[in-house]
Amino acid sequence: MQQEVLLAMLAKEPSHGYQLRARLRDALGPLGDAMNAGQVYVTLTRLEKAGLLAVEKSADDTDRSDRKVYALTPDGQQRVAEWIAEVSRPRPDLAEFHLKLIAAASAGLADPLTIVDTQRRELLRRLRDAQRAAMAEPDRSNAALLLEGIVLRLQADLRWLEACEKKWTHRRSGS
Amino acid sequence: MSNAAGTSVLRARGVRKEYGKGEGLVRAVDGVDLDVGAGETVAIMGPSGCGKSTLLHMLGGLDRPSGGEVSLNGRRIDDIGEKALARMRRTAVGFVFQSFHLMEELTAVENVELSALLAGRSPRAARRRAEELLEQVGLADRARFLPSALSGGQRQRVAVARALSNEPLVVLADEPTGNLDSAATLDVLQLFETLHESGQTLVIVTHDPRITATTDRVISMRDGAFVDETRLTGGTTGRLGALAGLED
Amino acid sequence: MGRILLVGRLAVRDLRRRRTEAALLLLAIMAATTTLTLGLVLRDAAGDPYQSTREATSGPDVVASVGQSSKLSGLEKLAGAPGVIDHSGPYPVVSAKLQASDRTSDVQAVGRDAAPTSVDQPEPTQGGWVGDGGVVVEAAFANALDVRVGDQVTLDGRSFKVVGVAVTAAMPPYPGTSCIVPPGCMSGPVPGDLADAGMPRGLLQNPGLVWLTQADARSLDPDPSYVMNLKLADPNEAQAFADANEGDPSGATPMRSWENILEDATELARDSQILLLIGAWLLGLLAVAGLSVLVGGRIADQTRRVGLLKAVGGTPGLVAAVLLAEYVLVAIVAAAAGLAVGSLTAPLLTESSAGLVGSAGLPSMTMSTVGLVTAVALGVGMVATVVPAVRAARSSTVNALADSPRPPRRIGRLIAISARLPVPLLLALRVAARRPRRVVLSVVSIAITVSGIFVLLVLNAFLSTQPLTGGYGDAQVEVLRRVLLVWTVILLCLAAVNAIAITWATVLDNRHSSALARALGATPRDVSAALAAAQVAPALVGAVLGVFPGGFALYGAINAITGGDGDRATLPSLWQLLALVLATVLVVAALTSVPARLGGRRPVAETL
Repeated sequence: MQQEVLLAMLAKEPSHGYQLRARLRDALGPLGDAMNAGQVYVTLTRLEKAGLLAVEKSADDTDRSDRKVYALTPDGQQRVAEWIAEVSRPRPDLAEFHLKLIAAASAGLADPLTIVDTQRRELLRRLRDAQRAAMAEPDRSNAALLLEGIVLRLQADLRWLEACEKKWTHRRSGS
Repeated sequence: MSNAAGTSVLRARGVRKEYGKGEGLVRAVDGVDLDVGAGETVAIMGPSGCGKSTLLHMLGGLDRPSGGEVSLNGRRIDDIGEKALARMRRTAVGFVFQSFHLMEELTAVENVELSALLAGRSPRAARRRAEELLEQVGLADRARFLPSALSGGQRQRVAVARALSNEPLVVLADEPTGNLDSAATLDVLQLFETLHESGQTLVIVTHDPRITATTDRVISMRDGAFVDETRLTGGTTGRLGALAGLED
Repeated sequence: MGRILLVGRLAVRDLRRRRTEAALLLLAIMAATTTLTLGLVLRDAAGDPYQSTREATSGPDVVASVGQSSKLSGLEKLAGAPGVIDHSGPYPVVSAKLQASDRTSDVQAVGRDAAPTSVDQPEPTQGGWVGDGGVVVEAAFANALDVRVGDQVTLDGRSFKVVGVAVTAAMPPYPGTSCIVPPGCMSGPVPGDLADAGMPRGLLQNPGLVWLTQADARSLDPDPSYVMNLKLADPNEAQAFADANEGDPSGATPMRSWENILEDATELARDSQILLLIGAWLLGLLAVAGLSVLVGGRIADQTRRVGLLKAVGGTPGLVAAVLLAEYVLVAIVAAAAGLAVGSLTAPLLTESSAGLVGSAGLPSMTMSTVGLVTAVALGVGMVATVVPAVRAARSSTVNALADSPRPPRRIGRLIAISARLPVPLLLALRVAARRPRRVVLSVVSIAITVSGIFVLLVLNAFLSTQPLTGGYGDAQVEVLRRVLLVWTVILLCLAAVNAIAITWATVLDNRHSSALARALGATPRDVSAALAAAQVAPALVGAVLGVFPGGFALYGAINAITGGDGDRATLPSLWQLLALVLATVLVVAALTSVPARLGGRRPVAETL
């Protein structure tokens, strides 16, 4: 789990640890169950030490991690903004990209469709490179087969982007 | 697009297409601006139903826009009569369709010569031109075959040859690889690349991203409007190795 | 049971889905059944009134006559001949010239008693029976002369009052009247040489029949001919009796049996009936041609449905049953409608027999007529449906589901030739070459229509240039004309329906290639012209074939069947035939231009 994902989930508002975990579970569904709760708190602690987030003591003054309220520091906010604008290379890590869209939309950091468009541009460039390389190969060469594999994977990624685009277009026009 | 209006072969301004009225009004194409320069290859991509085929039909004069202007080589075509439109299609535009649209009862060479015959060329000249074109698309040995005896890729190559028959200003292709498998797609892409290199102006509407391999620009279309544009000129810079798992 | 219900339900649904086509089918079959009904009803209509007249007037079984009073003994001997159970007469018969207002006609006047007799008592349809100074006119003759009860007429200059109009079974109605007076009678116009040389004295021309009192008749001519009406023990022996006694050595005594009179009395109806039956045949053929196209087009449209039916487990048998059931339903409705329309309009064509009792009523509808008409309707439906239905039922399920239409034919030579033609003709030839069977059907359809019109022209010319030929009077010519008119109207309607149906099928079939041609730069006008030309060219061929050999053959056939004398008819002139061919082509062009225009203007983008 990337540190920026957790930071981005806090961009909307300061949250308790358990709220943060609930939000992740909601976004990831059954995949979220596999996430180790301890790992989340370890990452949070590390981010706190790096000065990207601050911990506000909760009212009942206990030291339990899920009772603490986490909030972004200005440095943290800056880091999130950079991450949102970043284009995943060479291809998106699905969960990360997915959470990025959710975080960007919920915190109002960026238009998810813009993120999709940017990502597509990058994928198209790569696909073009791969396809051109494939076209340059003589018929039935071994390398052509490998290149076709790359093309097909990129096509799959692009198709998923299309699905993201549809979903977020729908949400935007639905709201 | 940096092309000045004067040099663009195909130009659209605020093109709209609406169906129905009142509550049921559907805006299939909603205010599109487009300039295609001579010798340029442009791909218009988008999910099915985004209006890209409708747009292509309007660009080629098969359909009339509800509003806006379309000009071909500096001449308005959205407001001219059916007859003039037909003449324009005959000489200035070549169409390539997803399902090939070859006449089943005509052989490959007869299909290719058809548009030249419709344009009033002599039978002999039309036949000679058709044979040249089939040679060019690599099907000289299949000239006497009926479409039913050709593979999908070969049929599409025949259709491309037909589109080129009258040396059109622009070739408009609607999902040219939509019905083709991987290998046949590669054939057709290579053919487009050859056309591109020879300076043929091409507009391709597709949702097959592989088409980008032969294009200068990719325009993304969503809900009847252009939403994004990517210029793809320039050499290969990407790190393909990473995609194949060879690098990090 | 469940299966029959299913088949029926599917058939009805499909018919309802495409009402226009169902209506066209119905019209096509109905045209044939109506004509057939008319023909059959007339056959029955011809016999019935004579029979009722015979009953109403105690009609004689044999009518015998002699030309002079010296031979009267022969008649008296006949009255006592074996087998004769009753008789009336002998009555005097004189020839005279009748003048009614402005019209003059020869008549045979029969002198009768004022008191009724037991054999041949003419039945007045208006007024009463003879009295001194009063004349009764035979009904058909009265009709032709436009004479009514109360009118004043003169016979050989002597004035009489019309006291009645009556019918009889002893003589065929005017102008079929049998000749009794010795100089003889002639029917038809006066031949040229006779007119020049002067008519033989006393020869009667198309005589009518009137009745007077015996005294009045004798006062017109003191030496009359005589006629006697005989009743036999066995009416079926009438002809045999006549044959046996005619050659009596005591002097020739001409005799007519009632069967013989019946034949003459119904001659006109028989001729009309033959015309109508031939018309029904033509229309039946035309209906088959039109139907084949309609059904073929429909079934081609239904390939997907057929595929679905088969995919869910329908056997080829079931599929064929569903398809056939549709047309059987249409055929049954058409048969019913044809029977109704035919029997309602039949009286218009049977009026002629005004000289008989009971002819004004509705001709009766017999079971055999109903059965025959229904059978023909079903037959026409089946013949037109069977080929496409079986083809559809046998087609591959997978292809049918993929909705791949019947692949067009390729005729390489035509395609090569067409490349040299201007664009509309190039496209037209290719449109035609794609579906040769349809072209043949449209040639046949037009050829049948044109042969029909050819025969109509011949008959019409015959009727108008030679009135009274072959014993046809004005009234009869009028009826025959009406029969011909019925023919013409139905024939032309059906031919028009066919032309439109064929064009429409072609337009639908070429939807895709028309759109493609336009995408490749053909103008809408090119495409419309091509679609129309693809119909007009077969129409031209059909029209020429319809004139020769079609028309000549059909006319020959009619002559052979009716035993008519073809030499007397004038064949249409060359310019008439040219005009016929030209008119056919123009009409077909006009009829097809609308669907062709619609087909040529269909938006391209939508179709592709």
